[in-house]
Amino acid sequence: MSPFPGPLAALIAEFERLPGVGVKSAQRLAFHVLRMPVDDVRRFGQALTQARESLGFCRVCQNISEGETCEICSDPRRRADQICVVAEPKDIAAMERLNEYRGLYHVLHGLLSPLDGIGPENLKMRELIERLRDESMQEVVVATNPTVEGDTTALYLARLIKPLGVRVTRLAHGMPVGGELDYADTATLLSAFEYRREL
Amino acid sequence: MIARLRLSHFRNYESIEVGWSPNLNLVVGKNAQGKTNLLEAVFLLSSGRVMRASQDARAVRHGAESATVEGVLQNRDVLSVVLKRAGRKTASVHGSPLRRASDLIGRFPTVSFSAADLALARGEPQDRRQFMDEEMSQIFPAYLRDLTVYKRALAQRNALLKAHAETRLEPELILPWDERLAEAGSALREARQEWIQELSPLTSAAHGRLAGSEKLSLSYEANDEANDRGGFLGALRSRLSDDLRRGRTSVGPHLDDLVIAVAGQPLRHFGSQGQQRSAVVSIKLATLESLQGRIGRPPTLLLDDVFSDLDIDRRDELVRSLVQLGGQTIITCTEESQVSADLLREANILRVSSGRVS
Ligand SMILES: [Zn+2]
Repeated sequence: MSPFPGPLAALIAEFERLPGVGVKSAQRLAFHVLRMPVDDVRRFGQALTQARESLGFCRVCQNISEGETCEICSDPRRRADQICVVAEPKDIAAMERLNEYRGLYHVLHGLLSPLDGIGPENLKMRELIERLRDESMQEVVVATNPTVEGDTTALYLARLIKPLGVRVTRLAHGMPVGGELDYADTATLLSAFEYRREL
Repeated sequence: MIARLRLSHFRNYESIEVGWSPNLNLVVGKNAQGKTNLLEAVFLLSSGRVMRASQDARAVRHGAESATVEGVLQNRDVLSVVLKRAGRKTASVHGSPLRRASDLIGRFPTVSFSAADLALARGEPQDRRQFMDEEMSQIFPAYLRDLTVYKRALAQRNALLKAHAETRLEPELILPWDERLAEAGSALREARQEWIQELSPLTSAAHGRLAGSEKLSLSYEANDEANDRGGFLGALRSRLSDDLRRGRTSVGPHLDDLVIAVAGQPLRHFGSQGQQRSAVVSIKLATLESLQGRIGRPPTLLLDDVFSDLDIDRRDELVRSLVQLGGQTIITCTEESQVSADLLREANILRVSSGRVS
């Protein structure tokens, strides 16, 4: 039996279902809610429901979207023959800040990781391959992070995509512009050296 | 080399600052007063990790939330590590945070020796692989990178094998992991073979000075035939059904060993305790020379309480070989009388008593 009154116990239980929230944090959050002004709590509840009800995933690129297809996919000015593959929706925001890339995106929603039980069937890979069957498709830019999982997922995708006759490229990684050699972390400097280019 | 060390809330120290000589430093004190903790703080700045197989949280002084270790090197670099009772440790250079604490490796090279290193002669293959991994990571950043990639890819491949113990595994699912493993694994094995080839004659020479006529040799023992990327991939493929049954990978440098032999006999099975000790000291001295050759300056040598184990002759010979190398040396011992008078005159002596240094 929970030592708390029913509604409080229920609130704690809901917080506990969130990722990364343990029993203690759930209790702390619940007690915080009890001390919040009622209006703030009401606004919080509305934001939760509204976000969930009005947002879903774009049926084309799997990005978070307000409608069936997201703003990028429905923008006629974007190049439709280029797809940039990212692991998470937040990576799209990073690429968009470049104001350079004019193609479309595809969100995998994760990376291959047997340790976490994640295989191709848990990622939005089949959906990507479907999109590539369009004959006008020219290039897939794989923009996963340069981690072991990111690199392996890129390798897996390349094998899957190349037989379809689509060019596959991968983001290069190197020194940040304006970064000083002395302060660069060793791994960054090392990969910048290994992928150095002719002047 | 290190010029100054500041500790706060590290192990049994509340807040101290210590100056180091570029030559010989003696840390003298009775047991359990904090001598080894000083040495460990220096090692932490060099490696980004605590020395003994313990958790970061244990290194935080009782009652404190975090411990800070800061070192000023002779080249004026300021390295620091903050250990937390809860949460990840952080490291920085001149106050700029590094991505990982292991990014400190290579900035302040050290070679350490304590009684626990006797596992190099006596222990399991794993102890010798750890020795190669630690020392080589200081010299070659590419080695550290390949090692990190290899360990992660190996864990992922083994998880994949276990998940498919009962169900069919599509070849294209394991192939990308095999490629990562083959690339990093063949690079690791090749680098280790090269380094051991360089270390073997240096070790023999050091051993000759320390222990006389018995010939000491090192050889790298690969677990399998795979010695390039292609061979590695082939071996992974041909052992796949075996690996699936066992749920782990049976090819690769994570199964290799370093064979230390005296007069042709593997030390691990045949050596006496005395032979094992002089072999390990010789390997450490050779490592020091190798690092010095590679990085162009002598690394700092950290010796934790090795005198009590050695007889007078070997102790003097050891100290003489160290002084000859001309680098910074930090030695802990229980009595000043363990060191000869002429060396004491040149040494910077730090007396440690219940968390205080004078
Ligand atoms: Zn879309």
